[in-house]
Order: sequence, then structure tokens, then C-alpha cells
Amino acid sequence: MTRLGRTSVWPGIALAAALLLVCLVLSLVLGPAPLSLSQLWHFVTSGPVPGNLANAIFWQIRMPRVLLACLVGAELAVAGVILQDLFLNPLTDPYVTGVSSGAALGATIGIVLHWSGLPWTTMLALVGGLATLGIVWMAARRRGRIDIFVLLLAGVTISYLASAMVTVLMIQGNQDMRAIVYWLMGSFSGRGWAEVEIALVAVPFMIVPLFFTREMDIMLQGEKRALELGVEVERTKRLLLVTAGVLTAIAVSVCGIIGFVGLVVPHIVRLVVGPSHRSLLPVSLLAGAALLGIADLLSRTVIAPNEIPVGVVTTFVGAPLFVYLLRRGRRA
Amino acid sequence: MSTTRPRRGFAAGIILAAIALAAVGLTACGSSTSSSSSPSASTAAGPIAVTDSAGNTVTLQQPATRIVSLAPANTEIAFAVGAGSKMVAGTTYDDYPAAAKSLPKAGDFSNPSVEKIASFNPDLVLITGGVQAPLRAKLVKLGMNVYVIDPTTYAGVMTDIANVGKLAGTSTQAQKVVASMKQAQADVQAKVGSLATKSTFIEIYSKPLMTAGTGTFISDMVGMAGGTNLGDSAGAGFPNFSSEVLLKDDPAVYIADSGSMSKPGDLSTRPGFSSLTAVKDGHVYVIEDSLIARPGPRLALGLEQLAKMIHPEAYTTP
Repeated sequence: MTRLGRTSVWPGIALAAALLLVCLVLSLVLGPAPLSLSQLWHFVTSGPVPGNLANAIFWQIRMPRVLLACLVGAELAVAGVILQDLFLNPLTDPYVTGVSSGAALGATIGIVLHWSGLPWTTMLALVGGLATLGIVWMAARRRGRIDIFVLLLAGVTISYLASAMVTVLMIQGNQDMRAIVYWLMGSFSGRGWAEVEIALVAVPFMIVPLFFTREMDIMLQGEKRALELGVEVERTKRLLLVTAGVLTAIAVSVCGIIGFVGLVVPHIVRLVVGPSHRSLLPVSLLAGAALLGIADLLSRTVIAPNEIPVGVVTTFVGAPLFVYLLRRGRRA
Repeated sequence: MSTTRPRRGFAAGIILAAIALAAVGLTACGSSTSSSSSPSASTAAGPIAVTDSAGNTVTLQQPATRIVSLAPANTEIAFAVGAGSKMVAGTTYDDYPAAAKSLPKAGDFSNPSVEKIASFNPDLVLITGGVQAPLRAKLVKLGMNVYVIDPTTYAGVMTDIANVGKLAGTSTQAQKVVASMKQAQADVQAKVGSLATKSTFIEIYSKPLMTAGTGTFISDMVGMAGGTNLGDSAGAGFPNFSSEVLLKDDPAVYIADSGSMSKPGDLSTRPGFSSLTAVKDGHVYVIEDSLIARPGPRLALGLEQLAKMIHPEAYTTP
């Protein structure tokens, strides 16, 4: 167990990477039409073949879905780590900034409008999420610095406002109620390569924080102390906030609001590898991807051809694991 | 789950929505046993007793004269059996027949008000199951006669139509409606009864993909129209359906309900759908929602359309 020391971060990362690899293989192999490992190899090497049903299941449905679940899991976990540290609050999840509610409003508008041609629901969700980030940001900016406390309050307020508007739209657009409710619950069902492409935009935003692990470690001791130790607090704070906001907005726009991952993955990883961000960030990224990948696998296979909402599975998988680690962590 | 406030706001919204959502599914949904009843020749003079879809006995001393309907299907049935003139209130969603639109409204189907219903002083209230199930006890407590129309089969719909006719004292007309529904069933049977069944997928909703499973009159009608309902494999009621399984089972015919928010042209743009046999061979159809999802007399038309979609070869004149 490496705690706070400058011991190598690689064992933790290697373990999480191995976990993710196992999760990827399982997710690609298992499903209503299971594959053998040799079939998996065959499909991967042959690439998409138009007109072949088994190939279409693999390349058009299963592959993008698995990749999307893993990408979103990584995005939410990284955003969770950043925001828990910035707010110095263990109950923080990526949705407190109001970004998810803004995205929900955008998605709802997209669903109600019934425009065709482009994935409007996803695009408007992204716009709504980013717009909310901008509004909250402006509310919290005072004399050139960002007041974290005001940011939190502004985020909560915007969330309420956006939720109220979503409810109004839901009641107005009675026929779209089902689509809106399912969007809010979060799901990877029916998602394809278009959503994967959007989620991939977030990759640079997952990598940037990895270059600020020293600053993040120091800022855990409070802004004042960090200033004394020569950290450019405001600059770092801004960069991290935008990063977490964009990650959340992208994640929510492609799959709706999936709870628990962004809250609990950072905690679980902290219990295992300790609070140093050199391990915490990359391991959370990989573990978030693995957890949501596994959760989606269960979501689509346990009661197939029906599906369990993935948010329900993340909670069922994550909650017992979290409680176990909390108890073990206390004893250690 | 996080205990932060914004999430709680969403939870409230979702719960609210879920309640109303249950209502949306109602037109089609049903889980109760539909038991037929044929009381020996209830004359116009004596009391009329029938058993509704929920198994309750409904007894009227004389034919109803003031009827309130709480579902578009119920309104349609009342008009079809010749009791349109006895209707004193319907719902805001009533759209068929045209005369139903101008009726006073007792509520909006998912959220009926007991006070509002009572204000019409009805001697018969036609409600449905699902979200309206708890309403029955409240109305009965106020002394109202309540008949639940919540059939799970085509035959169950005919039974309810006959029963409403008895309660309204318009049995002759109701029997004509039932006879024409039986005739439609016989006609379809004659056309497709001897043909090999075709695997058929019914899309009730597209986001997420949702179908009609066992215990629904839609599934019953797909079987009558010469199809094998793929949705039956997903369970009872209106389950979500995995698109992976859809591709694996590859139905020969794909029929979307017009309320599902999809168009035939959209299908091929969904991930993997362009590989479906039904899409490649052009066996994708859209059917009017009220013809297969509304348990009323027009199901006869829906049944005929289903048969034409599933077995077009049986309807082409040589």
C-alpha cells in the first residue's frame, strides 16, 4: 500500500489497466449473442463488414457501446476527483456544478423539438452543459478570482432552475415524457459511433490534469497554504474547473445522467492507492472506465432482451464495494 | 447516490414523470384477467349485472343514462355501441369519433379528479387499469358504478364492448360491433391462417427501444395476423428491448407504432439496423397508434392492417 510516499505509482496503474482490459474483453465477448475469443479476434481483425448481421452486432452495436461506457466512466471519475478536491468536500459528485442539469435541459429541448438530420439531443445537451458552466463561472468570478463557495451555490441554484424547466417541458410534451425520463435515468442503449466520437473529444481533458498532480496535492491543504508554497492557485483552479466541467458536459450529453460513478470511484481509489494525485488521477480514470464498462455489461445482459438502467447497476455494484473498502480502510 | 440537492430535484422530477409515464402506457397495458360474463338474458326491466376486466361485478338497476369515460378507448367504445348520446364527459385526449371532441372533459386521463367526475353526477364511470386502478375504490366509495376496461386480448376487448352495451341498454348495437370484430378476425384467419408465421417485431417506442410483450392484446393480434411476436421473449407488458437481440433474432417484419416517434426512413440510420433483413427487404411499416394500442372497436382495422403488413402476399390479387 503506497500512502503519500514517493513510491512508484506504476503498480496501481498496472493493476487498474489490467482490470480495464479484462472488463473490455468480457464486455466485447458477452452479450445476447456471445462470442468465443477466437471469434472476437476474427471480428477485430476483419473490421466492419457491411450486410453481415453478426459483424453488425459486434461493430455497430456492441463495440461503440462498450467504448462509450468506458470513456464516460473515465470522464466522470476524473471530474469527480477534481471537484471533490476543489470543493474539499467528500460528497461532491460531478453534477454539483449544475452542468448535468443544464445538459438535461438541453437534451429535453432536443427531444421535444423532434428535429431530424443531426443528433440534436446530444448536441443541445452539450450546449446546455457548457452554457451552464459559463453562467456558474461568471456568477462565481469576483475581482479576478473564482469563489468556490459562490460557485457551488450558483451551481445548485442553476440546477433547480434547469430541473424546473425540464419538468415543465415534460408536462407540456406529454408524448415525449418517456424519452425524457429515460434520458434522465442515463443509458448506453441505442448509442453508436456518433456518440463515441463526441466522447473522444474529452480525452485531452482527461490528460491535462495529469500534469497538475503536484499542484492538486498541495491545494488539498487549502488555498492559503498552496499560495505560500508557490502554487498559482487561481490559474490552477480555473484550469481544473473548466476541465471538470467540460468532462461532465461531454459525459452527460452522450448518455444522460449516470449517478454514483463520479462520486464513489475517487473514494474507492483513494482508499486503495492513497490521496496522492500521481496515483489517484490515472487509477481513477482506469477504474472509472472499468466500473462503468462492467455496469453496462450487467445492464444489458442480466435480464436480456430487456435492460436494467445502468445507473441502477453502478449503484448495486459500487455501493457494497465502497462499504467494504470503507470498513477495511478504517481497520488498516 | 449523492445526497446533494440538485440530484434530489431531479429525483423528484423523475418520480413525477414516472407516474405520468405509467399513464401513457395505459391505453395498451393490462394485467388483469378479462372474464366474460353472459348473464342469462338480462331484460331491460331487471337489474343488469356484468363482470369487468378487473373481475368486479358491476350491477345497474336500469340502463345507464349519464356516462363518464376516463380513457379515449372507453369513449370510442361508448360511441360505437350507440351510447354516445348518454356520454356526459370524456377526457382531454378523446379524438374519435369527432363528436367525442366536443364533450365536456372530466380530466386528462393520467390525472383524473374525483371531484370533477362526481360533478357530472354519472350513473356509470368507464375507467381503465394501471394508474387509474386506485381510482376505482374512491369512486365506488362515493356510490358510483364503475366499470374497468383493461383487456389483455382481442377477445377481451369484444367482451368489454358487449358488457358496455348491456350497461348502456344498447346491446343490439354492441352485438353488431362485436360481430364485425369477429368477422374481421375470421377474414384475417381465412387469409393468413394456413400460412407459415413470420417473426415480427413491434416497436412501441424508439427511445429507448420498447416493444409489446406477453399479456398484451397487441401480442395477441400479431399472433392472429400470422406473426410470431418477437417481443414475447422480453416478458410481459411493455418491456425495453435490446438492439443486439433484435439484430440476433432478425425479424422478417418490423412494425412501428405511429406513437413511437420513428419513421421507416429513420430505421436504417440507427446503429446496425441497416443489416436487418426487414430493413433490407423493405418490410418496415408504421401502423396508426389508435388502431393497435387502443382497446376499442377499431382494433378490427388494426388487425387487418397487421395481417397485410405481415403477409402482403396473401392480399395481392393474382
